[in-house]
Amino acid sequence: MTKSTKALRSAIALAGVSAFALTACTGPSGGGGGGSTASENASSVIAYGTTDKVTALDPAGSYDNGSFMVMNQIYSFLLNSKPGGADPVPDLAESSSFTKPTEFTVKLKSDLKWANGHVLDSKDVKFSFDRQTAINDPNGPASLLSNIDSIATPDASTVVFTLKNANDQTFPQILTSPAAPIVDDEVFPADKLLSDEEIVKANAFHGQYIIDSYNKNTLVSLKAWPDYKGVLGKPANAGATIKYYTDQTNMKLEVKGGQIDVANRSLSATDIDDLKKDSSVTVHVGPGGEMRYIVFNFDTMPYGAKAPEADPKKALAVRQAAANLIDRQAISDQVYKGTYLPMWSNVPSGFVGANESFKQAYGDGSGKPSLDKAKKVMSDAGITGPVTIKLQYNPDHYGKSSGDEYAMVKDQLEKSGLFTVDLQSTEWVTYNSASKKDSYPVFQLGWFPDFSDADNYLTPFFVRGGFMNNHYSNSEVETLIAKQLVTADKAEREKTIQEVQNLLAKDISTLPLLQGAQVAVSGTKVKGVDSTLDASFKFRLGTVSK
Amino acid sequence: MATLIDAPPPTVAAPISKSAGGGLGRYILIRFLLIFPTIFILVTLVFFLMRITGDPITAAQGGRLPQEQIDALVHQAGYDRNLFIQYIEYLGHIATGNFGRTISDGRPVIEMLAKFGAATLELSINAVMVALLVGIPLGMFAAHKRDKVPDAVLRMFAILCYATPVFFAGLLLKLTFSVGLGWFPVAGRASTTTELAMGRLAAPTGVYWLDALRSGNLAAFGDIVHHAVLPAVALGLLTAGVFLRLVRTNVIGTLGRDYVEAGRSRGVSEYRLVTKHAYKPALIPIITVMGLQIALLLGGAVLTETTFEWKGLGYQLAQYLTARDFVAVQGIVMLLAVIVAITNFAVDIAAALIDPRVRY
Repeated sequence: MTKSTKALRSAIALAGVSAFALTACTGPSGGGGGGSTASENASSVIAYGTTDKVTALDPAGSYDNGSFMVMNQIYSFLLNSKPGGADPVPDLAESSSFTKPTEFTVKLKSDLKWANGHVLDSKDVKFSFDRQTAINDPNGPASLLSNIDSIATPDASTVVFTLKNANDQTFPQILTSPAAPIVDDEVFPADKLLSDEEIVKANAFHGQYIIDSYNKNTLVSLKAWPDYKGVLGKPANAGATIKYYTDQTNMKLEVKGGQIDVANRSLSATDIDDLKKDSSVTVHVGPGGEMRYIVFNFDTMPYGAKAPEADPKKALAVRQAAANLIDRQAISDQVYKGTYLPMWSNVPSGFVGANESFKQAYGDGSGKPSLDKAKKVMSDAGITGPVTIKLQYNPDHYGKSSGDEYAMVKDQLEKSGLFTVDLQSTEWVTYNSASKKDSYPVFQLGWFPDFSDADNYLTPFFVRGGFMNNHYSNSEVETLIAKQLVTADKAEREKTIQEVQNLLAKDISTLPLLQGAQVAVSGTKVKGVDSTLDASFKFRLGTVSK
Repeated sequence: MATLIDAPPPTVAAPISKSAGGGLGRYILIRFLLIFPTIFILVTLVFFLMRITGDPITAAQGGRLPQEQIDALVHQAGYDRNLFIQYIEYLGHIATGNFGRTISDGRPVIEMLAKFGAATLELSINAVMVALLVGIPLGMFAAHKRDKVPDAVLRMFAILCYATPVFFAGLLLKLTFSVGLGWFPVAGRASTTTELAMGRLAAPTGVYWLDALRSGNLAAFGDIVHHAVLPAVALGLLTAGVFLRLVRTNVIGTLGRDYVEAGRSRGVSEYRLVTKHAYKPALIPIITVMGLQIALLLGGAVLTETTFEWKGLGYQLAQYLTARDFVAVQGIVMLLAVIVAITNFAVDIAAALIDPRVRY
């Protein structure tokens, strides 16, 4: 990958395509670095740095990037993706398929064992999913398993999932998600979480690595595990250390100084911009699923259903005018230095069916804003004077640049003379709950996907009111979302997803602004980082070598 | 600060009147017993101040969960019960060493305190060593060169030391000696290899240099010292400035005493007067002031640890505050308060042992 924005666009497009179409052909099965280079370098240990934190190594007790990154090195899944893509392929499974519309059957590989010598069979699989649901920890991902009705284990190598909703096309992806690492039933309790220290002590791992030494959120040492039988194969290194930072500047300085080989999640846009000019390191960019967007509360926004002078046509005109005025490219360039790219639809580019519905419908048609079109929609709706918008953003949850981002949005809207923006910020402690209680007429939100599928950007948002509780409802949208969820034919599903996006662009329940990229910085002699920056959003240390 | 430093020597802990009984044993006993009400008041204050904003679970969840789920968790943890009953229970728990579990990562608070307390202790010891090694000799030298150029320079240096915010000093040192010159590491308590070695030691105290010495691992010891220099200097200079001014003032005061004048009239050199006769009395107030400095030092450690990724209590405190994990914060604040109370007790005893006037 190169360091320019242009290259970032190419990276997202290419990796997106490879993720969903050519997974089987991309990336070495041996875990990335591959070939002779990998074997030559397999004796070295990779030092990885991050500012993410581990909440818990127990998959039932965490649902965050920091914890999931470690889990991806030490646990296996029934299905996983190879480096280079996001398509689910058998991991612990030998095969998997829908055996009935509501039945998904998985056959396990033979002779699977945990690092502690325990047998790994269908009992462990059923136990792993059942305990997720039973514990239902507030910090855990149990909600992702809501479509599982029951799990049967007819024999030691067969697992049959009975689903509540038939033909769930997202189910294979769910089996690769944070809800799905398989754990040892002889070590983990069925009804409560197991501490990190006990997991490490019990050596309850089946992954490319086992944990050799564990100092939570300080330093974790991983050692390659020779008996791993999953899809990622033998790692391209002998082991890895994960060093945790609080100050991203310290991480930046250490990757520049060679104290760590890879810095990943999260350096600021300014730091990345600075590092791009530094010859001692390489900046790698890959597709990202992160999304930043503005939400309109259909009840309380200007002219909303419960606002003074309620008028749905005028409310729509306000949303359309805003969509015509926002200059996403300027925000991307000036605030995020190209580390976030303009986003033109509710489904990010790279995912099945993603289109650019907002680009076609608003602005000048090529992505630039259009003042004339904004003025026209406002005057057509009978709005004469500037409309006052109370715009809320959050200063502590979506990164330090949110303030700059929303100052720019305010400026872009006000410059038109069509809006007066009352910009306000609230800390996350109250922001999230207040936003769902109609406190904010127009507000900022962000999203990181639970799993790599377009539906994860649709169902949670636009079905039965969505998690945003912004009072948007469109039965046609809901019908199409339900349809794509169970459409097995890829082309047909893609078409349906595009139809959903086009409808959403007409209604503008949310206004997508930016799509984040994955960025990692490495020493110039480090190889294999690009292989893992794919649409699965899983950083696999096994691909990295030096 | 200036008033404290320029005050006449040797002002030390408030003397106990003879009517109180006198005697070292009684003095120690009274001082020891005073620790308990002090800690009790601190525990009470911390508990109720933390609860002003509501129960810890609601604060930590920050609206991420539906209200019903938060209510269930609050009920499960007992935070919806009468506050006074919770307080009594809390006292009972901490009396048995049970500080509960942190909300954000579920680890036992007592384990977290033990682990990260050792790191903060190490940083504090290092900083005190820097303060003593810099403050005392330079203070004596400034007194020796009273009203001359070196004295003026050193006084300015002292003012700079205690007037510079510790995070700024840390940042400046890091930029100069780590980023600019590359002489010292940017962050951390040790290199990765040493960190892993420390984690594998059979019975570590948690104070890395001590563990390295105990195990005879001199390479690790060197690496640890290398990492410790900048954080220790950043934090230690704050106190070094105070010590420098204090020693200078006290040495000058002592040099004006009759017995020193007598020595001077007998032809004893000024250097000898300072190093042989004036330094001992000048050190007594240092011990008392050190007690006061401990609280400042711990406050400074929060900033120093964050600047240098020194994973101690201060670093953790910042993390848990961000996560609104008030159970963890309560535990850390409690421990810091206990350390300050015990240190002050130790300082009082040390002062009483050195200077009998203290206890009469």
